[in-house]
Amino acid sequence: MPRRSKPSWSPIWLTCVLVGLTAAHAHAKDVLTVPQEVSLSADMSTQQLSISWLGGAAAAFDLIILRTELNETVFYETVSVMVNQESGRHQWNWTSVEPLQCTSLSIRIRSRDGQATSDWSNTQILQGSDLPSNAKSQMYPQDKIRPVGASTTFCCIVGEGKLFGNIKYSKTAMNETRLSRRSYAVTAVNQGLSGRTGTNVICSDNTDYLLDGTVVFVGYPPLPRDLVCVTRDLTSAVCKWTEGRGTNLYRKRGTRYSLNNRNCTVSNTEEKQTECSVAQWEGNWTLVAVNPLGRHVLTDSAELGHRVFPVAPENLNSTVRAWNATLWWRWKYDRYSSLALVCQVELTSQGYKTKRNFSGLGLRSVFLSDLNPDEDYKVQVRCGAQQNFWSWGSWSEPLSFKTNTYVPDSLDVWMWMNKDHTGQVIWKPLTRRQSHGPIRGYEVTEENQQPKLYPPDTFSVPINLTKIATAGGDNKVTATVIVKNDAGVSQPASVHIPLRLTDVEPHSVSRAVYTGRGFPLYWQRDDNATCAYVVEWYESFCRWDCTVGWIKVAAGNTNVSVESADFLPGVRYNISLYSSTSEAPELLQRWQGYMQELVPSVSVTLSTTQQDSDILLTWGEIPLVNRRGFLLGYNIYVSRGSQLMLLANVPDLGSRSHTVKGLSEDSYKFTVKAYTSAGEDTGATASIMLEPYTDWLILEILASLGITAVFLVIVTFVCYKKRKWVKKAFYPDIPEPKLPGGWSRSQGPLDVKPSPNSLVHMVERPEWDSSKEALVVIPEEDEDEDGQGFGDEPADTDEPASLRYYNHVVDERPIRPRFPDSSASSASSLDSARTDVTYTGIQTSGSSLVFLQDSEGHQPQADLSFCGGGGGGGGGRGGGGGGYRPQMQSRALSDDTGLASPEPFFEPEAASAGGYKPQSSWHLDSPVEAEESVGLVPSLGSPTSVASTQFLLPDGDERRQPSSSAATWFSNLLSSTKP
Amino acid sequence: MAEQEEPQITAPDTPVPGPSQTGRAVALARLLHHECARLLQLYKEKETFFSDHTPDAGRIVSLSPDTEEPSTEQQVQLLHSALRQCLGLIHCVILKEEEEWGEMEGDYETMRMNVRLRLEHLLCSTKGLVETESMILEVTPDHQCNEETDGAGGVFGLKMWTYRVLLELVHWADHAAQTLHVLYAEREGTEDV
Repeated sequence: MPRRSKPSWSPIWLTCVLVGLTAAHAHAKDVLTVPQEVSLSADMSTQQLSISWLGGAAAAFDLIILRTELNETVFYETVSVMVNQESGRHQWNWTSVEPLQCTSLSIRIRSRDGQATSDWSNTQILQGSDLPSNAKSQMYPQDKIRPVGASTTFCCIVGEGKLFGNIKYSKTAMNETRLSRRSYAVTAVNQGLSGRTGTNVICSDNTDYLLDGTVVFVGYPPLPRDLVCVTRDLTSAVCKWTEGRGTNLYRKRGTRYSLNNRNCTVSNTEEKQTECSVAQWEGNWTLVAVNPLGRHVLTDSAELGHRVFPVAPENLNSTVRAWNATLWWRWKYDRYSSLALVCQVELTSQGYKTKRNFSGLGLRSVFLSDLNPDEDYKVQVRCGAQQNFWSWGSWSEPLSFKTNTYVPDSLDVWMWMNKDHTGQVIWKPLTRRQSHGPIRGYEVTEENQQPKLYPPDTFSVPINLTKIATAGGDNKVTATVIVKNDAGVSQPASVHIPLRLTDVEPHSVSRAVYTGRGFPLYWQRDDNATCAYVVEWYESFCRWDCTVGWIKVAAGNTNVSVESADFLPGVRYNISLYSSTSEAPELLQRWQGYMQELVPSVSVTLSTTQQDSDILLTWGEIPLVNRRGFLLGYNIYVSRGSQLMLLANVPDLGSRSHTVKGLSEDSYKFTVKAYTSAGEDTGATASIMLEPYTDWLILEILASLGITAVFLVIVTFVCYKKRKWVKKAFYPDIPEPKLPGGWSRSQGPLDVKPSPNSLVHMVERPEWDSSKEALVVIPEEDEDEDGQGFGDEPADTDEPASLRYYNHVVDERPIRPRFPDSSASSASSLDSARTDVTYTGIQTSGSSLVFLQDSEGHQPQADLSFCGGGGGGGGGRGGGGGGYRPQMQSRALSDDTGLASPEPFFEPEAASAGGYKPQSSWHLDSPVEAEESVGLVPSLGSPTSVASTQFLLPDGDERRQPSSSAATWFSNLLSSTKP
Repeated sequence: MAEQEEPQITAPDTPVPGPSQTGRAVALARLLHHECARLLQLYKEKETFFSDHTPDAGRIVSLSPDTEEPSTEQQVQLLHSALRQCLGLIHCVILKEEEEWGEMEGDYETMRMNVRLRLEHLLCSTKGLVETESMILEVTPDHQCNEETDGAGGVFGLKMWTYRVLLELVHWADHAAQTLHVLYAEREGTEDV
């Protein structure tokens, strides 16, 4: 808080001024009168000091007010004060900032005329409360009431012997100003609203001990508004107003009201609503509101007839019927009977309120029409003056009543037919407003049959027209339904049921679009048709005894909005337009629509198939009930990690497959999502592993085989065509042997009977059983005839074995030994005794080598057996050089590297001692043999050849039977081509 | 501070005589002391300047025993007299405050009413304890409420006086609890209530 500025008027300075003034205006002293009889009058509550004096003719005076104790100037000004003609005194009022009790004040006055002044008057002192005689602590002002925003100065006079400590405004310590030895002042500026019990200002000593205190109340002056005076009894007046802003002042500091200068006994009727009554209507009213902070005046004026506020009707009662009722009541004041009134009746029924107005002189009753039967009503009545209407009066007490029952309204009947001539007659349940009372039951009559009664909760009855439909006759049956209640029966309601179903699907089904309130439907006007229409709807996937909704449309209309609270999102509805004639209803048009399309509730069933290097996706159809919207197509995705990448969109609903091409071998996961206008479903996912395409490999093999077959056929054909050349080139005629002895030229078996003493001495090897692996000589006839050979006979038998040869293969050339080192062999004796046959062109197949190198790696002992059989001795290794030697080719060493032979036994001698092979041992399908055959080309050109194809065939060749068969076939082919 | 749950106060009735009547009076006095202390605390919270103030004025209610060493029953009779004056003071506080600011419904006003009713109840209890045929005790307030309040008679004086009355109530409620406990110990032969 700012300190009050202290004027620096010292007594010395003041004295100088006064002396100067006296000297300068010495001549004026004779003119100006020194003020006399200065008197003081203080109003402590307003802190106003009234100063009066006798001042002569002067009109201007210098006033100086000083705090007596400290001689501080509080006020020093020149004021113009006119003399009061009655008292002859001058009077001037001064309001002190500080309470006048705070300290003593000294007042002096002098007259002034321009620059001339009189001497000062005697000093008058206003005694403060800080005199030593008043030793107790005090605080001023007490119980001050201040407006919000004002500033107030408080002073504390500390008790004798006490030391000032501080002054707190509420909880805030203030900056003090010392007014005297014991008096201190503080100023609270811009004060805010105090509490209800005021704001405490506390003065404490230097020990913070409470010395004294005061309370200040900060509030507002009164500010009422909306003064209105009305009459209720047409005689007196009741004035009301609103208190407005709260003053924050209560009880004895609160606002007081006076109406037309009469204290008003205020009663608070509502929140801040106050009223005051006046016994007679005066026409003009003045309301004065006063509190310690100010006053406010409101006025109102009106004629009595313009301010009628009727009282509430009393004793409200009623007379009730089914469709109407009469209300009556009484008025509290008889003067109302001559007053033109307008009354308002508020009806409350089923939660809805309606108001109806009635008027009349002294209105006491009203007739309420258009009520509904069997319905509860609650009514209230209020009235106002019909002329110069001012306001509705008070509401009466509410009255409740219930109207009487009445016969029900006619039913709205329709039907549903199944495909098998069964169906239902259905009707809409009557609302409370339509039933006019509790329903007691329904009576349904099919044409020409007895009525059937049904309980009140029945809204459909089954019908079976199978017999009627087959009996022929009329094409419809009429069903009639009436409803009963306590008041009677309704008008009958009928529906025509077709005996022959004509519910043929129209050519096109339109789509109906829901617009928020319903399906707006439009159809073509048929000028010839004077019938009404029935618009029916049901869920599209329903097929049997469906729940049907319908509305009837008057003739001439060509549009309607189908609205139903039963429409559900995601359900497709069939909406049909029927003509409603005296005949059976006829389907005119059909729509389909959704109230709200949703995404499909289920996904398609997806399957994947690999087609070549492509993947075929196929999926099934979503059932109608699960589509929940018009399908717009399918989106095909492939999974890439956790994301789906759109591959394709299939907008064609008829197509439920898609081929994904250009994929590499990998695992794929495809997702197909059907979508409607609401979006996609969750999707069906299928995985597939794209594998290499093996069909091509198979095709290549087949093609190779085919080409080979064709080549063989061509070769065969060429060989057949050139068989002479082939025969000449590969199979030339072998000249018959010419014997010097003149052997018979006749052909036939040549029996060779070894001499009895020409036994073969078998040289046994201890590690090898020659009896099992002996090479036997198989006569060609035996093979052809009974398949028996010599192998069955022991080689060392005493019985002479007979070897048969075709004699035409005898070579005329002298026989020469092939191996000079075998001359010592005993076979030479055999040579001389038998036909010497030279084989020069016999081919040796690879299999013969196999024979030579059996799996056990044994030496081809067959040579020994053969030789033994042929009379050739020579056991032992490398001793196979005796006897006949066919044109066997030595195998290249490279061919033998793969054979499991522990010993290198491919000395020329050993190789040449291999088994014998007939010439037919060709293996065209063996590339090895082909090579060998190439290697044998020089020998093919040998002029000598033996035509035998089954000569000296070892057992080991049986495993090559298929090749041997082919060779046999080829050999036979060649044989067959012999001339 | 949260308001504590207090038992429902009903109109004072005649205490049921019996061995536990003194004990009930002790408990009632202790409850009154607790409520008076709570009332003083609420007042300090409302009128902040009294938070640490101890008035230097003497007791409002003072007693002058007839004998220098009164018996316990006599002390209770004196206590009864002091409590009647306290009841008169709290009646006067309520009257003056409502005159000044009207009826209010705060915690302070609620507790103020509780103390008044509890004090009336305690007076009935002490009357039943020590009343004799020769010593008829009254339970009506012994205060006319016409004396000037402290200071200059302004609102601040009323607040100061109210504060002193509340201190007086705390003092005499405590005194009642102690005196009645002595009586209880004498009559029941035990210190435990």
